[in-house]
Amino acid sequence: MTEATSDIEGVANKSPKSPATGGGRRKLAAARWWKNGDVGAAYLLLVPVLVLFAFSVIYPLFQTIWLSFWDIKGLYPPKFTGLGNFLALARDATFQHAVVTTLLWTGCTTLLSVGAGWGISLLCALAPRQTLMPRVLIFAAFGVSEAVTGYIWLGIYRPDAGGLLNSVLTAMGLGGLAHPWLGDVNTALWCLIIAYSWAQTGLPLILIYAATQAISKTVIEAAYIDGAESGAIMRHIIAPLSLPGLRVALFINLLGSLRAFDTIYVLTAGGPVRSTETIGFFMYRESFTQFKLGYGAAATLVLLIAVLIISIPAIIQRTKEVR
Amino acid sequence: MKSHAIARRRATIAAGRVGLIALAALAFSAPARAAAADVSGDLVLLDWAAGSEEDMLKALEAGFMKAYPNVTFKEINLTTQGDQRGAIRAALQAGQKADIFINTWPAFRKELVDAGMLKDLTPLWTGAGIGDNLSSSWKDLGSIDGKLYGITYTFGDRSAMFYTTATMKKAGITAQPKTWDEFVANFKKLNDVKVNPIAIGAKVWSHTEWFESIYEHLNGVDMAAKLTSHQIPWTDPSVKNTLKKYAELIKAGCCGDANTMLAMDWDNASDAVLKAGTYGYQMIGMWNNDRAQSTDGLKQGDDYFITQFPAMGAGHDDVASVDTKEFSEFANAANPAAADAFLAWIDTKDAADIVAQHGLASPSTKVDGSLYGPVIKYSVDAVANAKVQFVMGDLLPGDLVDEYRVQLQKFLQDPSDATIDAVTQDLEAKAASSY
Repeated sequence: MTEATSDIEGVANKSPKSPATGGGRRKLAAARWWKNGDVGAAYLLLVPVLVLFAFSVIYPLFQTIWLSFWDIKGLYPPKFTGLGNFLALARDATFQHAVVTTLLWTGCTTLLSVGAGWGISLLCALAPRQTLMPRVLIFAAFGVSEAVTGYIWLGIYRPDAGGLLNSVLTAMGLGGLAHPWLGDVNTALWCLIIAYSWAQTGLPLILIYAATQAISKTVIEAAYIDGAESGAIMRHIIAPLSLPGLRVALFINLLGSLRAFDTIYVLTAGGPVRSTETIGFFMYRESFTQFKLGYGAAATLVLLIAVLIISIPAIIQRTKEVR
Repeated sequence: MKSHAIARRRATIAAGRVGLIALAALAFSAPARAAAADVSGDLVLLDWAAGSEEDMLKALEAGFMKAYPNVTFKEINLTTQGDQRGAIRAALQAGQKADIFINTWPAFRKELVDAGMLKDLTPLWTGAGIGDNLSSSWKDLGSIDGKLYGITYTFGDRSAMFYTTATMKKAGITAQPKTWDEFVANFKKLNDVKVNPIAIGAKVWSHTEWFESIYEHLNGVDMAAKLTSHQIPWTDPSVKNTLKKYAELIKAGCCGDANTMLAMDWDNASDAVLKAGTYGYQMIGMWNNDRAQSTDGLKQGDDYFITQFPAMGAGHDDVASVDTKEFSEFANAANPAAADAFLAWIDTKDAADIVAQHGLASPSTKVDGSLYGPVIKYSVDAVANAKVQFVMGDLLPGDLVDEYRVQLQKFLQDPSDATIDAVTQDLEAKAASSY
């Protein structure tokens, strides 16, 4: 038996509780940490954040869960209804339609914004200096509030002669294509998706671009020296190595799309004929215009569950990557 | 001599009368001043008014504080977008304490009354002589089950159509139509000069205005009251006939295509009529009068005017749809004396003139009508001679009003008999669970 083999066997035979194993080392480190008083300091530093978190997230969450069990209509006295709101939601055709719209909306806006951001970031990665200005401009759109985005696109989609899109079409001799974009149930949702994706492309662009900048220059230089074309370098080196950034961008944009409200409110107010009403908008309508707080809270929880279903696996995976 | 004696006696009597009047005035004003002095402290208003209405409110507050110098107004301001009821409910549920608030939704008033939050103002009406300034029809509009909960201080004609004189001149329309047939006949004149006759902003709610005015003119205010309180179903022939009449309007080329209507909000429709001149008429509330002047820079009477909804000849042409704004007092008001004094003052001549000076209509019988601009004067005269019906949408419960707007959007997309049947059935299904 060689010395190397002996070492491996020696490690393998050691008990997990042995101080020499990883678990033992962690215990030792923890004991030393505690002794030094670091844990107390750490918890002390965490207190403000935990208090804020409890006040702004945990308390409203439990309040929302509690509200969802009540039948509240305006200022009338609330009645306890148990799971009644959830059962009513399951039967509510308007809510079912909102769920379908939300899926379509979330899928399309995420794919479009992240897809565009990924594509642009890959192009930018090939010529970082020359593409600084476009990157800044595209990212600037992400900094614009959703409501302002809505008003910008309202001006673009206006049905009259003042609408930018129809004016451009007319100027190009394509006046026949001019259309009341936001008033047609067949086009309204797609127009919203484009408007929202436009504003959301900046973040994936920056995240993925940052991932491409982390790729070692020597790898790319080596590929060039070996005679690889730019397209091949992008396809076989930059694109695969940008995937960590892509995953983060997908996660963030997916959650953002699920919760989107302002752009929809400004552009269509959920119409025409509720064709652009997502769960987020449904929740707003029920809670704040109808003041059916219990019903709205139940819809909020459904949305929260959808967010958690997406978030938890992504967070677990991200945590593993960090470790 | 005799004539001198008579003259002296007359002069003595006249002087005596003047003295009596002066004494009476003194006797009257002394307790009034004392009463005004007794009313003191902070008067808290839950305020969601904005723009020129907020300016008017400030002027009213100043006017009241002049009459009651020991009272100081305090405001809880709600900055909201869209339907303000949500913000008011949230403020109340969050424990905000106010003495009075502005309301414009009868259905909301009922909600507050059912929750025991509003004070019955019937004794105040009688005790403070509010009836001297307001006709009983305004009392009826502010009442629920015979008890008064809201004192109206301004109102707007909602059966009036705005138009510009330039557009009418271009179309060769020299006199505004008085009857439905004349109105529809004018569509051709407007279409011939590439103007759509009516701008309907159906993005959210303003398409319901047409349904309501047609309904009231075909069926009368009593039927409208029954429909809004669900004493008759939405599948009633009166509703279907109204939608068929509305469909006639659309099929006659009134309003451009349905998708354009659904893409426009009421303010886009206003721009299309008053600014762009691409549409002929818009039926909308009197706040558009202020907008036309402040936003579009138009001169009322010269650049634009209004005309009342045309007569339909169904025996109910003496109706007008109105909206109102009223003050209500909270049952738990911290300063009920000041609140009562303000509600009793709000329709006096002083207050009514402030309302009129700010370009709004006052329901007070004491208002100086010469303060009105031509548009408001026309609308006040139209309403004064009509049986009034509150905007039907504002009388419906929250659940139903939303469905009502959406179902009427569906109707605009396809105004066929089949859609009318489907829409009325869906409305009735919602109404069945909303009351």
